[in-house]
Amino acid sequence: MFAVWILLAFMFLYIIRTVQGPTIWDRLLGMSLISVKVIILIVAYASFSNRGYLLDYALIYALFGFISLIFIAFFILDRTRGNK
Amino acid sequence: MELLGNIVIVIGLVFMAFGALGLYKFKDFYLRLLVLAKIDTVGAITFMVGIIIRHGFSFFSLKVLLIIVLFLILNPLTAHIIARAAYLSIEGIDEESDDGTGGR
Repeated sequence: MFAVWILLAFMFLYIIRTVQGPTIWDRLLGMSLISVKVIILIVAYASFSNRGYLLDYALIYALFGFISLIFIAFFILDRTRGNK
Repeated sequence: MELLGNIVIVIGLVFMAFGALGLYKFKDFYLRLLVLAKIDTVGAITFMVGIIIRHGFSFFSLKVLLIIVLFLILNPLTAHIIARAAYLSIEGIDEESDDGTGGR
């Protein structure tokens, strides 16, 4: 059970780093890191509380996080290139 | 078996600690990208292998195995996409645009 709290601490560290990241790409990187961390948190909680169905949510969340990241990256890419 | 699983989980957490440390120590953006691509993935996979060891043979560990495979595929791709997008928008577009794909 202790792992869940440690993971929360790491996630908090990543959030701080995302907020203060100099460029917008740091924030995108931080967002991706946090989504990975959330997935690990779900898996950890599912294993410690012996709930098998939570893993399906982690799976779906991993896919959605990945897809949303692709479109955000391309959106930012087009926007920064637009005013060049 | 339970103890072995806990040990592997702790090792996974140590890797994640390195990731968090690396995120603050690296000064350049592309170095920080390394944290996402490798350190975090290794930490996650070690953590999940520990969970699989804790749970032995069951549908639970099968699902966790599926998530591990998904991680192995998705994380490097994510890191590549961010690196490419960041490189294109910061260093300018002229290198990539002449091969016909228009940088996309």
